[in-house]
Amino acid sequence: MADVKQIAEQLKKLTGLRGPVPVELRDRVAAQNKAQRAVLDALKAGPKTVPELAAAAGLPQDQALWYVAALRKYGKIADVPGKGDYPKYELKGGEAK
Amino acid sequence: MSLEKIEVDALVVGSGIAGLQSALDLADQGYSVAIVERNPSIGGKMISLSKVFPTLDCASCITTPRMASVSHHPRITTLTYSTVDAIRREGKTFTAAITRKPRYIDEKECISCKRCEEVCPVFLPDEYEQGMGAKKTISIPFTNAIPQFPVMHPEHCIRCGACARACPKDCIDFLQEPAPVEIKAKAVILATGYETTPMTAKKQYGLGALPNVISPMAAERLLAPHGPYGRVLRPSDGMTPGSIAYVQCAGSRDKSIGIPYCSRVCCMYAIKQAILLSGSLPIADITIYYMDIRAFGKGYEQFYNNARAMGINFVKAKVARITEDENHNPVVRIEKQEGTSGPEEIKHELVILSQGLVPACDGSKFGLGAANNEFGFVKLSDETVSSAVTDGAGVFVAGTAKGPRDIPDSVVDAGSAAIEAASYIRRL
Ligand SMILES: Cc1cc2nc3c(=O)[nH]c(=O)nc-3n(C[C@H](O)[C@H](O)[C@H](O)COP(=O)(O)OP(=O)(O)OC[C@H]3O[C@@H](n4cnc5c(N)ncnc54)[C@H](O)[C@@H]3O)c2cc1C
Ligand code: SF4
Ligand code: SF4
Repeated sequence: MADVKQIAEQLKKLTGLRGPVPVELRDRVAAQNKAQRAVLDALKAGPKTVPELAAAAGLPQDQALWYVAALRKYGKIADVPGKGDYPKYELKGGEAK
Repeated sequence: MSLEKIEVDALVVGSGIAGLQSALDLADQGYSVAIVERNPSIGGKMISLSKVFPTLDCASCITTPRMASVSHHPRITTLTYSTVDAIRREGKTFTAAITRKPRYIDEKECISCKRCEEVCPVFLPDEYEQGMGAKKTISIPFTNAIPQFPVMHPEHCIRCGACARACPKDCIDFLQEPAPVEIKAKAVILATGYETTPMTAKKQYGLGALPNVISPMAAERLLAPHGPYGRVLRPSDGMTPGSIAYVQCAGSRDKSIGIPYCSRVCCMYAIKQAILLSGSLPIADITIYYMDIRAFGKGYEQFYNNARAMGINFVKAKVARITEDENHNPVVRIEKQEGTSGPEEIKHELVILSQGLVPACDGSKFGLGAANNEFGFVKLSDETVSSAVTDGAGVFVAGTAKGPRDIPDSVVDAGSAAIEAASYIRRL
């Protein structure tokens, strides 16, 4: 298993070489975390379509879809079987409360 | 950094279906081969296609076994995520300077467990899914990538260390450097393939800014079993499209964008995708706006007729412009080429631009005497005599590097390049 101290040293060295993590990147990741949380929170109330999710999470619809694709790929949400123009998504087992 | 040296009979640049096949053909005859691929995985464009015309066989089911044979072949050395910086001719041999780009992991130790990817907190648009899906700052390129190594993108890394703490083999190396490799070979096969014409090529078609006007590669991913959404949805809002249109020759046979030639595969891939779409969306209306359909290969005309019989709507028309309405529905302005009606505006829910094929790499930049044709593809020295011999002695070409063609033709080409290279090597 990895040695935590060694990792910290490598990362410190890296910052010495490349300078600090750019503010733009930090902001982007913060915004991603917020959007991700908003999507997952919105799904706690029950399955939703992308437009419904976008409205509940305060995201543009294309971005809501992108987060759905991301969270689906990494096993956080699942497709709800069924027909209709807009498919619905739900939290994956255990995470729905 | 010590210089890794490799000596082989043939160097193959590019690992699409043409590069894979020529390497296998040479290696099976007893020649040693090195393949250099700039992407993190071998397989080229074909590995990301859904199914292939006209048989509708699953593309990855055909490509994956070939990728595996190449990567396990005792006489083939595969260098992925590597650039060819220069190739010099020295007497009867070629010396290539290659750089292995850092993946920031120890490839000898990595067991491809994906833990690093699972814990990484940063999402990035996944170019394998044409931006429609997401990957992480450290991630394995795609499910059936070969090799199954993750790649880290330091410019998107917040240096949280989560990947390194999670890795069971302690193989994350944030300080990894590019590694130089020298390959000596007796012959070179250029199999550098194609790119599609850019979405931004035509101002009249929205310059790539209309969310529901997509590329045919994106459509391949929507149709692939493990695509970004797991089903066909449109990118603006996750709707199942009920009306889909193809705009043919949207990047070929068009002098205004410098591509006067026919790209040969667009008619067939559009028909293929239309057939697959009508399979997965049985109630959708599918229209193909075309100038003329070029179905030239074995079984292709039948394939086209089947598509017509299935109810796909073929409209002979020129598409003058694409705009969108307030719900991001693409509005296509057409001028029919049959009948006498004036221009019409037709609303669809998703539009695919049948883009053309352009060269992926300037083969002449290596300075080996292999010249380009007027469109930038590698030129054959005499097309009537050989389909693989270039103007450079010992330099051969295979697949779409020499011009647009489909997979069966690329495979046949690869065979001739391998035979020409083998007979050249024997004569040395
Ligand atoms: C949307 C679409 C659908 C299609 N569907 C079909 C179909 O159903 N059936 C069919 O027969 N054909 C189809 N085609 C055509 C098919 O994709 C090509 O015929 C085939 O993939 C060409 O293979 P290739 O090896 O020549 O090129 P590529 O697959 O492009 O491989 C070239 C490889 O070389 C690498 N490379 C390039 N430059 C360098 C460099 N300088 N150094 C190192 N590596 C380099 C690239 O990264 C790439 O991996 C389709 C094409 C498109 C656009
Ligand atoms: S250190 Fe970088 S690559 Fe590793 S988990 Fe953190 S952000 Fe991802
Ligand atoms: S966690 Fe380590 S061993 Fe597992 S895939 Fe990532 S780098 Fe490889």
